[in-house]
Amino acid sequence: MKRKLRGKKAGEVVAQIVIWTILVTALLIFSVPFLFMITNSFEEFSYVLPYPPKLFPTRLDFSAYTYVLSLPLFPTAVKNSVINTGITVVISVFISTLSAYGFARIDFPGRETLFKLYLFTLMVPSFLNIIPQFIILKGMHLPWSDESLIGTRAGLILVYVATNVCGHTFFLRNFFRGLPDALSESVIVDGGGHGTIFFKVMLPLSKPAIGTMSIFALQGFWEEYFTAKVLVGANEDMITLPLLLQRLHGQYSTRWEWVFAASILALIPVIVLFIIFQRKLVIGGLTQGSVKE
Amino acid sequence: MKASTKRKWKKGAKGWLAALPFVLPGLVLVGLFVLYPMIFTIRISLSEYKIVQGQINFIGLDNYISVLTDPSGRFWYAYRNNFLYAIFTVPFIIFGGMIFAYLINNLKRGKTIFKVGFYLPVITSWVIVSLVFTYMFNNSDRGLINYILVDKLHLLDDYVPWLLREWSGNAAIWLMGIWKNVGWAMLIFLAALQSIPRDLYEAASLDGAGVWGRFRHITIACLKPTTFYILVNMIIGSFNVFIQVLMLTQGNPNGRTSVLQYLLYDKAFNQFQFGEASAIGLISAVTIVVLTVVLNKLLKLDTVEKGGAD
Repeated sequence: MKRKLRGKKAGEVVAQIVIWTILVTALLIFSVPFLFMITNSFEEFSYVLPYPPKLFPTRLDFSAYTYVLSLPLFPTAVKNSVINTGITVVISVFISTLSAYGFARIDFPGRETLFKLYLFTLMVPSFLNIIPQFIILKGMHLPWSDESLIGTRAGLILVYVATNVCGHTFFLRNFFRGLPDALSESVIVDGGGHGTIFFKVMLPLSKPAIGTMSIFALQGFWEEYFTAKVLVGANEDMITLPLLLQRLHGQYSTRWEWVFAASILALIPVIVLFIIFQRKLVIGGLTQGSVKE
Repeated sequence: MKASTKRKWKKGAKGWLAALPFVLPGLVLVGLFVLYPMIFTIRISLSEYKIVQGQINFIGLDNYISVLTDPSGRFWYAYRNNFLYAIFTVPFIIFGGMIFAYLINNLKRGKTIFKVGFYLPVITSWVIVSLVFTYMFNNSDRGLINYILVDKLHLLDDYVPWLLREWSGNAAIWLMGIWKNVGWAMLIFLAALQSIPRDLYEAASLDGAGVWGRFRHITIACLKPTTFYILVNMIIGSFNVFIQVLMLTQGNPNGRTSVLQYLLYDKAFNQFQFGEASAIGLISAVTIVVLTVVLNKLLKLDTVEKGGAD
């Protein structure tokens, strides 16, 4: 009996070593593009690409980083990316949470049809609509100005929010529907309406789901390239980090150390955010543990 | 009869009144920036549209015809490439994601390192990833791939201009797609694996099931709904491929590595053929909707028959 147990333990250790070996090998292969990027951000390139290409760093030189940080457009791009992403996430998550509650918890005629319409829009390639969106923004202006919304932060955020309402609503509606009726019934018994249910019951319970969605949304808006390029690409004051990267690459096609240094700088916040929140992300079994019946 | 209709109306109006404060802001935005543009796109696809003059003249199906019958065959190459992308990336993403998730889930220590490690490509922007791949697949001996394959391993006799040829260009796009998405599948599978009750495994062990038996009859069975979810998502994603192509190959040579979204972009923003661009967009939209409906029908049938594991 004892020997059998020891044998089992040894087997487990071997299994762990095998798993580790496979995963480490796979991860090393997966890291090649990152390693290549980091290594070359420490190099100094000239007008021709160096031979041989380097995968492992041979020096630690941060001059590419100081160069990128000294670019006048860099602070502008960081500022715009932070502001755009922040405002968009807050507004879009708030509006979508409201919508999701409406679709999940209030019975109104045409609800299913309308929701199916929302779902349908998710299947249509998102940038099919960019031409009409451009035209609509061109025809809109803020009350205090005559300029159109093309090339403005307000216009970009408006499109960002609007194009993400359907997806976010879909995600959160499933979550709201999973919450037991007992919770809202107790509010109704106490004479509360949907407003009370929403703010007092649903919002606190859905923090993990809303948080998870916000993290994914944050990352999506942070890296968004195409819509920004079309809507604000012509206005240098509105440049975002992805636009700046592409521009650096376009202007100095062989100065990879600048491109990679800027890429890494743009990437750091996302990685930090993910490492901090990865334990809290709820992906499967969204409703588990919210109520014990 | 009349009274009941009236009551029904009243109830409906009451429902709307209660729902409006919640649904209205989203509805206005979706209506203005998503639904209306869709209708507008259909209209543009049926017209000759001059954006500067603001003229829009109805011309029927001409845009569709000229897209589909373009002698260069660009549309068909792009369409083909979307399907090839799905065929060559989705199986690797699903199996890779499943295997990594299974291994990570069975680890005693270091789960987080691998979870974050494999997920890094997912949170890295397409622009950055494309830039790195552009350099790695450089035509000459200066690119990492050529250097390793030719100068180091001597597997090839000569340097390959990867991104300038039809099949190597497509392969680079696929490889990037796999590398970027495996981590996503892994994360979703991992969540699903963690929600499988432990009792199931214990019961199976008592019944004498080995590692393989447990993997086949419990793990695979419980992962079925998740697998379908990932499958549908990835296939839809295959029709949204864009930035990779824009940055790696620009569809070269002659549109042989192009995809529908890139073709749309090229028509609209390089050639200002908004009518044809909209037609391409609608064709790809219809394709995605049809694919999704068909997949859902096929897969749902399957889960119902098996008792609906989810």
